Amino acid sequence: MLLGVGKAHTGTCWHAPTVWSWASVVGLKMKFKIWRKNTSRWLFIPESASWNSWASAEFDLAQIRLIVYQDCERRGRQVLFDSKAIHKLDSSEPTADESKTTPNRSNACQIGCQASDKDKPPSYQYTRPASDVNMLGEMMFGSVSMSYKGSTLKIHHIRSPPQLMISKVFSTRFGSSSVSGSTSTLQDSFESMCQTFPSHSSSMAHSNPVDMPSRGHSEDGDSGIARSASLSSLLATPLPSPGSSLSSGCASSFQRRYLRSQATSLQHGPVPRCSNPAMIRRKKIAISIIISLPEREEENHSFQEFFFSHFPLFESHMNKLKTAIERAMIVCRRIAESSQRVQVYLCRVMEALGEFRMTVWNLYMAPRISEPVWLSMISQSAERNLLCQRFMKEMSLLMEHGAKTQFLSVLLTAVLTHHLAWVPTVMPSNLPPAKHACQKPTSQTVDHLAKSHPYNPLWAQLGDLYGALGSPVRVCRTVVVGRRRELVQRVLYVLSYFIRCSDLQEEHVQPQGRDNSANPCMSQTNDPSTEKHFSPPPDEPFSEVPGTNEKAQISGVGVPIPCMFVQQQQDLSKDTKSTNPPNSLEAANVGPESSETGQECFGEVSGELEHILANQSPLLHRVQFHIGSPREADNAGQAGNLAAMGAGRGFDKCLHQRLLTDVMRNESSDSALGDSDDEETSLQEVYMASELMEYDLPLPKFEVESRASVNHFGRSLLGGYCPQYMPDFALHGISSDFRLKQYLMADLEHTVLHPALDEPVAEALCIVADTDRLSVQVVSSQRRVFEGGRLGRDVMMSNLIHTLITSVLQLFALNIAADFCVMHLEDRLQEVYFKSRSLAEYLRGQTRVHVKELGLALGRNKGIRYKVKHEKMFT
Amino acid sequence: MNALVALCHFCELHGPRTLFCTEAVHPPSPSPPQAGSAIPGDRDPEAEREGEGLTMRANSSATQRDMCEGCRSLPASHPGFVSVDNETGIRYLSHQHPRQAQLFSVVRQACVRSLSCEVCPGREGPIFFGDEQHGFVFSHTFFIKDSLARGFQRWYSIVVVAMDRIYLINSWPFLLRHLRLTIQSLQSTALKVFDSEQCVCPQRVMRMNSAFSPAVFPHQRSGNAARSLTSLTQHPNLWGSLHSSFSWLLKACGSRLTEKLLEGAPTEDTLVLIERQTEQEEEMSGWDGSEGEGSNLQSGQSESAQAKDFQFEDGKQDDFIGPKFKSLRHLRQVLGAADFRQLTWHVLMGNQVIWRGSDSGLIQSAFSVLKALLPVGCVRAIPYSPHYEEAYRCNFLGLSPDVPIPAHVSSSEFSVLVDVLNAEKGCAGQLTADEVLSLYQFHLSSTNTQPTDKGPTLLNKMEVALSNENLSVEVVSLCLLCLKEEWMNKVKVLFKFSKVDGRGKEDTQRVLGLLGATGPGEEDNVRLLKFWMTGLSKLYKSHLMTAVRGGERTLSQ
Repeated sequence: MLLGVGKAHTGTCWHAPTVWSWASVVGLKMKFKIWRKNTSRWLFIPESASWNSWASAEFDLAQIRLIVYQDCERRGRQVLFDSKAIHKLDSSEPTADESKTTPNRSNACQIGCQASDKDKPPSYQYTRPASDVNMLGEMMFGSVSMSYKGSTLKIHHIRSPPQLMISKVFSTRFGSSSVSGSTSTLQDSFESMCQTFPSHSSSMAHSNPVDMPSRGHSEDGDSGIARSASLSSLLATPLPSPGSSLSSGCASSFQRRYLRSQATSLQHGPVPRCSNPAMIRRKKIAISIIISLPEREEENHSFQEFFFSHFPLFESHMNKLKTAIERAMIVCRRIAESSQRVQVYLCRVMEALGEFRMTVWNLYMAPRISEPVWLSMISQSAERNLLCQRFMKEMSLLMEHGAKTQFLSVLLTAVLTHHLAWVPTVMPSNLPPAKHACQKPTSQTVDHLAKSHPYNPLWAQLGDLYGALGSPVRVCRTVVVGRRRELVQRVLYVLSYFIRCSDLQEEHVQPQGRDNSANPCMSQTNDPSTEKHFSPPPDEPFSEVPGTNEKAQISGVGVPIPCMFVQQQQDLSKDTKSTNPPNSLEAANVGPESSETGQECFGEVSGELEHILANQSPLLHRVQFHIGSPREADNAGQAGNLAAMGAGRGFDKCLHQRLLTDVMRNESSDSALGDSDDEETSLQEVYMASELMEYDLPLPKFEVESRASVNHFGRSLLGGYCPQYMPDFALHGISSDFRLKQYLMADLEHTVLHPALDEPVAEALCIVADTDRLSVQVVSSQRRVFEGGRLGRDVMMSNLIHTLITSVLQLFALNIAADFCVMHLEDRLQEVYFKSRSLAEYLRGQTRVHVKELGLALGRNKGIRYKVKHEKMFT
Repeated sequence: MNALVALCHFCELHGPRTLFCTEAVHPPSPSPPQAGSAIPGDRDPEAEREGEGLTMRANSSATQRDMCEGCRSLPASHPGFVSVDNETGIRYLSHQHPRQAQLFSVVRQACVRSLSCEVCPGREGPIFFGDEQHGFVFSHTFFIKDSLARGFQRWYSIVVVAMDRIYLINSWPFLLRHLRLTIQSLQSTALKVFDSEQCVCPQRVMRMNSAFSPAVFPHQRSGNAARSLTSLTQHPNLWGSLHSSFSWLLKACGSRLTEKLLEGAPTEDTLVLIERQTEQEEEMSGWDGSEGEGSNLQSGQSESAQAKDFQFEDGKQDDFIGPKFKSLRHLRQVLGAADFRQLTWHVLMGNQVIWRGSDSGLIQSAFSVLKALLPVGCVRAIPYSPHYEEAYRCNFLGLSPDVPIPAHVSSSEFSVLVDVLNAEKGCAGQLTADEVLSLYQFHLSSTNTQPTDKGPTLLNKMEVALSNENLSVEVVSLCLLCLKEEWMNKVKVLFKFSKVDGRGKEDTQRVLGLLGATGPGEEDNVRLLKFWMTGLSKLYKSHLMTAVRGGERTLSQ
């Protein structure tokens, strides 16, 4: 019967998953909500109808401006490039600043002088820079001259016209390498051209870039971290006992986040200064991207939200731009003839800027998977059955399509090998489930952690999506290539179940709540504990909860909240004895299905953490496995000490790593400020004061409304069928691999050098699935040479995965309910996890690996081989 | 959020100054509390800080020469403010300067850069800057009206300092939105004060009229430069409010985004253990009546303790001094491959396994080793009993040597009896397999006529692992876990198929085929699956039952 319904609609309405573009979803929250309410029918409605009509925010390429500035001790500041002052002399395209041609939404944004006509590069004219350029220079370099050893980042908001300016300022090593022969400099060319400065200098002042250090190689030799494999580091948790069902639980999710929180803790203070006085600092270069913000308030808002939440990606592309500018500077230095040199320079920089603009445009505008399966299952538990049904259906169709080559199994082998975030989602939980049994519980340990030791959830999510879970860090993306749009979209849809990450929700502070918290001057009372009470709005579902004046407002998802929830809220507020708000953040966002997290969450979080750490020996062991040399750990003796040391070493290591990378990345010292603290007296006061007891004030309470956040990577990095290859997406589809072939290797190398993840990356990988040729390859930043113009290495199918997928699909074919099939799929993935763990354990004591031995025992020879590949890949 | 917020002021006399600073002190790194012992990684910074504090105090002969009213927030005698977030243990502390020495210079740096280095168009607005050495800063500069100040205004900034660059940038819109509110309220309050002061004594007119004399000017101005923010806003509880506001900001910014992260469902073994514990507790409370909250708090610990108990029975086993079985491999060595095969076959089929002998410790160790072959839910053990217990009560039964086995049992093919015969009373202590063997004789008897060497598949695989000495005991036990989970998953499917959906025989046969349960040993596999089905947790079963009903309802709509 299940199938009957499905089949009836397959022919006509069963469209491959549709896509939506970024800008539009933000603009159309209202539609979103309305649409949500009609969920019962959503399965059979072609979504495209509602989603394609919302071209709200357009993004004009001219909105992105590039300025390159130089600050030299002797000659002051000079503009080296300003895209606003450059005009193309090409007659065919009169408005040369190509940005005027805004790409059509359905088309790719393609620009660059290279692409248009290869034979004769366009020539450019450099006119007088715009009037605001002096002011912008001030902002980039600051009013007081500070000297830097490395690059630094600044972001300015300019109110009118509304603009965002992102500047990278870095110093050049002065005359460190000699490019002899050229007597006049690039600056000179500009100087003569702009007639701003007399061209008298003949000193060679080239910009030898202080390159961003390669952070990929910062694994410590002595920590053993280089040898630990990513999956094995996830899995090498010894079982407490044979056959025990208790296991390491959410260890890996927890640990990665915990270490991040420690590494970025303010309490451990800044990294000690390592200055290098030998370095001569005379010249600084600033590269600034100025983005004009949309005039309309709503568009402005949504762009800014997108920009700031996706900043790591923007920054990564800026680094790419910077590298290109440096290359342009170096290349044109070799050209003797002045006007030609300028032309080469301008052309190169314009091309790089074109690339940057295009990438940003694509990042903002490219279509996305409208219903990524995994995330939708997390967030919309009410629609679970329908989601499962659709997912199983799509997967069956896909299996049929590539049956001969076992395309799906091969692809899933690759995806499950590299996008490792599925692993923590199948590691069995130790905690008792609540009423809605058997569905996956939300991780409570991570939840506690987030509250007591905040880390950046966006960072965690980005790492999840790229599969950066192990150590050393490896990141992976997947690109699906194919001319048949529907097929590619089907593949993307199915993969969006296996490429996993956490779901993010955003807490919006209620306007009423603001008055007494963010606004210090509203309550003119001496006793700050007397808070203003606001009567709840009439439509508020839970107005007065006894015991608190806290109100949780639930909205957004449009899911009816059962009474049980209210009940629980009341219980909770009693529990917390109303000294502090029963965290309505928590309560509000969990919704009906996961309100089971309740009771546990409201305890003393720090106590909980201690409890967790004390009782989760696997976790502690993991920490050691990651960090210390095993010998040390063995000597540590007592379990408790061991634990403490393990944890301690954990973040020492992280801090150490941070120190290393940071020193490399961003050495700056501030001679202008000096070290002299004229506030010594106050420092002394500090310690006098510290002996007294502070006045205890209650924390301000606030009301929140939690909404599904749209500005997060789970929504933005799962791309749809895009007009063009994109370097950022964890998953997306394209019609042709032309650009992919052209750019992939450079992108992977760039990822290793300038990871968006803000932590060192050892290897970047890309899975390329071709639905036309039904082939799957893995391309690595490390392996370059492949014969026959192939991009990477062909993926071998794992029998383990193949049997897994086949049997799940066969169950579905036997008319077993889709949601049971999905549950079974999860069980089977858990099996893979258990098997990998046995293997990790086996490999631990082995110098030579006889895989057959274990294979016979576990009975799936080839499956084991898959796991060995797993291991080897990360060892 | 792992950050601090500070209010800074550009003093006309003293330049950029930190006025007020709120820091979040997080609970100590999660580590088991150990009374008395110093934890190196954790306690060090604090000790350092205190050391520094002492030296600071020791050579603190400096006077307060460089402080004026404008540079000061709380008086020197003021202890500062604290707010404790009881839920998380985070304490929000406010003083004029941060209490941690290493943060002092960080804030100082941020303050100087925000007010005298970085350029903001219009001088009011947000900027992000910073580096890894000094921390990263989100700064918002603004003016406050002062009728006595030069240009009738003073310049302030609020800085948010953090080490997590990306997090801080991600938070820009949020910080900007809320800092603006704080700033606007400060400004509007000060504007009211300004207006009223101007009414009383219009400064512009006064200044225009007063004769300008270069000699007097600095003196005049210095007197005016000293106005505090409290006096500019006439807000009696300004610093308390700011503390609340900044603490709130730190907390709200840290919890602005919440992650919903799923982990794997608990295994059936875990579920069954939990169910058993709950049952026990209910029984206990039934007798006791006075179940406190204490037991709830302990539940997590006792669970895992119980789980370990169940699997290991370490504690109990250690009580028995004497020979015992350490692992399945050990048992296999002692019994010999053939007897071991037969015994484990019976275990896996759900037949009653009776051990009879005088050494209860040895018998118990045999059971705890054998139990590992089964899902927790399939194990019903009576370790040592003075009389026979029926099969429906237990599938593992230990008996004293003289207990007779009822005829219906000894003649049943669904039971196996192991008689442990003491050959000679030996000494206690560590014994090798051979030594145990030399002390005891094991006599295995069953009326089962079926071959035990074909299946089940699980046992075949298990034996391969056990017989391979290259695989350590740990690896073998992990293998066993894998095999059990694998078969448990088949059990679930079969349960769903036959018990929930009530499919016919033909379909069931197809399912068995795709589960890999057919072929050689099929009969044994099916028996195993059926027996294991009895071990499914109640939770799982009821979930499937309700899910079906729920699912059908959804479809009919």
